[in-house]
Amino acid sequence: MNGNLKANTGDVERLVKASQTGNRAAFDELVRLYQRRAMQVAVRMLGNADKAAESVQTGFVKAYLSIDKLKEPKRFEGWLLRIIANAAVSRARVAKHRTEKIKIADHFEDKKILSPMERQSAEELKEAVERAMLKLSKKEAKAIALFGLEDLSHREVAEIMGCSVEAARWYVFRARQKLKGLLKDYL
Amino acid sequence: MKEKKEKIDLILQRNAAEQLAKVDWKELNTVISSRLDDAGRGKTSTIRFPTIFKIAAGVAAAAAVVFILVMLKSHTPTGVQFETSGGAVVKFIESKGSASIEIEHASAKSVVMVDVEGSQRKVARCDIEMIDSNGDLKKESQGAAWIIISRPEPLYADNGVSSDITDMIYLF
Repeated sequence: MNGNLKANTGDVERLVKASQTGNRAAFDELVRLYQRRAMQVAVRMLGNADKAAESVQTGFVKAYLSIDKLKEPKRFEGWLLRIIANAAVSRARVAKHRTEKIKIADHFEDKKILSPMERQSAEELKEAVERAMLKLSKKEAKAIALFGLEDLSHREVAEIMGCSVEAARWYVFRARQKLKGLLKDYL
Repeated sequence: MKEKKEKIDLILQRNAAEQLAKVDWKELNTVISSRLDDAGRGKTSTIRFPTIFKIAAGVAAAAAVVFILVMLKSHTPTGVQFETSGGAVVKFIESKGSASIEIEHASAKSVVMVDVEGSQRKVARCDIEMIDSNGDLKKESQGAAWIIISRPEPLYADNGVSSDITDMIYLF
């Protein structure tokens, strides 16, 4: 399967260092290792797989172009997720008016067999979550998305967000409060 | 309160799972790879850009100089017509626009109206001096005639750009 949830730290460091010397194959391997992780963050922030895929692509391109600026290769994951989260924030800004160019999630029927009712329900939920997430501030959206990743500690979330753990928790609290109101029909 | 928070988290989790289940990872990987290829090419062209830019800028500058010279040459009047019954009309031969000069007293204060390419009409009071290149002023003469209009500080101008008029008329 593409995109392991947790990559071996030693391998990642080696791949990052190789990428910093211009080794494209090494960066491709990093993409393969982290694309699922990146999509998890972006989908949670945007609520929509197609839009998330766009921001993930943009995020990886930015990471590729600036990987030589990463001073501590062992911190690659946090650094990458920060880039992905920022790309998702940027994508959210234009979400309302932009037409989709690339459909990554067009294979709905192929991947999962759902009844028409289930599919409609899933589509409705996606749209509701998408709308609700747009109502959050950038930090609230980042915080709730990153806290949703089970294997990411609060300290790591705070580090990615560039704030204290307490502040990150506060943003999560605020996000939850807002979302409870916005998604009350689904609770 | 805590239970409600968990429900919210579960709703988000459910949506994320449903969305991620739809993703074609291979396709996503291909698209990312393609975008990295484009970015790589962009990186290369950025490195080459300064040299290319210098060459392009040099060519553009040379072309601009040639263009200006050609335009100046094509707009230089080769002849002037005079109608001196209390006034004079300067018509440019092989050039667009005209200047009409209303003479109060020859070689004295005069009102000068300039209409260049029909789009600008400017008026200024100036000193004028007419010089025929053959030594005598001929009515309806064409070709070898010159007008020198000089006035450093215009007495009035209708649109506040009279100094431009003075400069422009020098060209005539």
